[in-house]
Amino acid sequence: MVTAAGTAFLPRARLDALLDLLREGGRTVIGPTVRDGMVVLDKIATVADLPVGWRDVQAPGRYRLSDGHGDRVFDIVNGQMSWKQFIFPPRQKVGEMKRSAADGSVSFQPSAPDPSRLAFIGVRACELAALGIHDRVLAGGTFVDEDYRARRDAALVVAVQCTRSASGCFCTSMGTGPEVRSGHDLVLTELDDGFVVNAGSSAGERLLARLPGRLATPGEEASVSAAVAATRAAIGDPVATNGLRDRLMDQLDSPRWAQVADRCLACTNCTMVCPTCFCTSTSIGSDLDGTVNVTERVWDSCFNPGFAKVAGGDFRPRREDRYRQWLTHKFATWVDQFGTSGCVGCGRCVTWCPVGIDVREELAAIAPPALPVERPFIRPAAATPGRFEITTLRASHPETADTATLTLVPSEPALLAGLPGQFVMVDLPGFPAFPISVSRYATDHLLLTVRGAGPATAALLNTPIGGQIGLRGPLGTGWPVDRALGRDVVIVAGGIGLAPLRPVVDTLLAEQGRFGKILLAYGARTPADRLFTSELTAWAERGMEVLQIVDRSGPGWAGHVGVVTNLLDQRDLGSRPTIAFVCGPERMMQATTSVLRDAGVSRERLFVSLERHMQCGIGLCGHCQMGPFFVCRDGPVFALTELGDLFTREGI
Amino acid sequence: MALPGAAARWHGWVVTAGGSLATRLGSTWFGAGLSSHARERLAALAELREVDPGAVLLREGADTERFGVLLRGLLALRVAVAGRGTATLMTVEPGDIFGWSAAVPPYRATSTVVALETSEVLLLEAGALRGLLRDDEALALTLYPRLLESVSRRLTATRTQLLDLYARDREYEPW
Repeated sequence: MVTAAGTAFLPRARLDALLDLLREGGRTVIGPTVRDGMVVLDKIATVADLPVGWRDVQAPGRYRLSDGHGDRVFDIVNGQMSWKQFIFPPRQKVGEMKRSAADGSVSFQPSAPDPSRLAFIGVRACELAALGIHDRVLAGGTFVDEDYRARRDAALVVAVQCTRSASGCFCTSMGTGPEVRSGHDLVLTELDDGFVVNAGSSAGERLLARLPGRLATPGEEASVSAAVAATRAAIGDPVATNGLRDRLMDQLDSPRWAQVADRCLACTNCTMVCPTCFCTSTSIGSDLDGTVNVTERVWDSCFNPGFAKVAGGDFRPRREDRYRQWLTHKFATWVDQFGTSGCVGCGRCVTWCPVGIDVREELAAIAPPALPVERPFIRPAAATPGRFEITTLRASHPETADTATLTLVPSEPALLAGLPGQFVMVDLPGFPAFPISVSRYATDHLLLTVRGAGPATAALLNTPIGGQIGLRGPLGTGWPVDRALGRDVVIVAGGIGLAPLRPVVDTLLAEQGRFGKILLAYGARTPADRLFTSELTAWAERGMEVLQIVDRSGPGWAGHVGVVTNLLDQRDLGSRPTIAFVCGPERMMQATTSVLRDAGVSRERLFVSLERHMQCGIGLCGHCQMGPFFVCRDGPVFALTELGDLFTREGI
Repeated sequence: MALPGAAARWHGWVVTAGGSLATRLGSTWFGAGLSSHARERLAALAELREVDPGAVLLREGADTERFGVLLRGLLALRVAVAGRGTATLMTVEPGDIFGWSAAVPPYRATSTVVALETSEVLLLEAGALRGLLRDDEALALTLYPRLLESVSRRLTATRTQLLDLYARDREYEPW
């Protein structure tokens, strides 16, 4: 006997003792058992009824069992039956209507729940999650399915942590397993010679206290962690769930629905084996003389032809409509209705689809995840506040009335190894450090283009030639210039926003043959406020298209006047692969990215650089937080897909 | 069509059949948003002109004598301010229009329209445009919303310019 609080070890030879305990008080034990070449859930009288030594091999549309694999009891993974069979039966009488033969009067009698007391053994983590989802769907709202609730309350749950997985498993992606976390009374993890047992409820603790055996050793507990971790590793992360709800709902018009419908038989297997599908129909059965009518709740499926039918017609007449309904409900609208995904990643719909439609494949094809943005890590010369690298001011070149480009020579070469779009923190005596984008990297120096906007930047601009300036960096993410290989590149800059984009132009022009056409659209306040004016001309001579526009015209200006989007409005950028880098005031970037999207540039190839208050520059001080991001560390360059609707949202 | 006494040269007719004019109109931002019926009717009455830099197409405050779609080149919209000379408020990019006031009372130009480059324009005489809008309901149904959209885009752009987004922001001072 072991203490209630401990982790117990139950030798395999004593598993019968657990079954006996579960049967106390007249409970029936239900667990996996092999029948007709399948594993079904049924009454378990002895350990011999459990699938000892059996293993399953699953693939889309394929399920095979084989025995003789030693004496492990729970090496099979999921069969086609789920536990909803027992707490939400396929056919359940809900009431009876009687017509009196004597006077024709009618009486209704709802069925009172009368569940048998069951104990489930072998419930996997994904199944526990499914029970939790049903608790919300059927018993967590305004109206409750009384029969479900009674059955659920009457059931004891003995979970088993998975030490094997099937090819259809994706609990890891759905966040439901393979670790058993909650919803169980007891949980077993099978090792070579027995089970490590933990309690998950007070009922479980009482059982555990009466279980024969001993406390588990630290070594056994470590083996449990290792075995479950190995299962997790074997499953991997097959479904990208980040943003899945929105990605899916954006694809209601995907051509893929029709393609998958060509394969789908609408056989309803996926919904029958799904542990969370809960749609039912009410069926009325009558005896021959019509005196007794029995009302039953019967499992139905959104794949059935009559499921969405009304007198006037069928709302989902096509198979593609029904597949879309099922998939979007399970993975998207379920979240809106019940605050959780409707999928637990058990993989049954994959294995038991007769034509092998793999929901993981369909999700990836219909709602592909945004391409991950590759972020090469550049080790900064000095990262943490308090440290800095000394640079010497070699030259200062005025750009406009209030802006100059400083040539800084570092003794530490790592400062010169940054990416286009990265920034440095500038340390001056007497001022808090502030971020400035690098506007050019050269072999022995770097350039910072600085606008005098206040005391600190004024002090920087007033540093005498030969003066020393402390820098930390390069920091943050850069423009992903490698993603531009083979593509047309659109660079849109507003005002001082051209400075962090100049290293992009440098890189593109240095290896011009590797990229498509390059367009720079540059908006400035007035002609006199333009940066790098002589270089703009030189870039155009080297084959870039350079367009400039000003908000306010000025003397001698015969060029474009207006907002920078005017330069892009008429363009078709969707017919060739195009990538865009945009930097300027946020409102300008909002208008620009909107026009670029309309012109055909996809959001995952639209990059912006954000400005936020930064103090540490390395994601520790918290000033630059924006939603899930530290702009200094995770940005300042982001793809539009990364930012989602945070981009330009007020007050974030 | 009577042309204003601009110093710059106005070319003679660029002879083009109506059908291909409608096609060219359809390839512009403005024309792409019209019905094919509207494009055909407009093209039938329109002239294709090439103008030199400096050519004045409309004068601020004067009757709007013509409505046009810029096919190629660049036009400036200018207003005169006493004591401050003439300011270019915005430029018209290819695909966009000028002379929308030809359709809106009091039919007077809100700015002076000057070609900054050699430009190709599709011109419609103001009276002819108003006649079309009056007599052809199907055309008016597609042309009015498009005109309003053009004016609205210009209004939005002007507001953005007024925001002076590139102006220097004050540095954040933590002390």
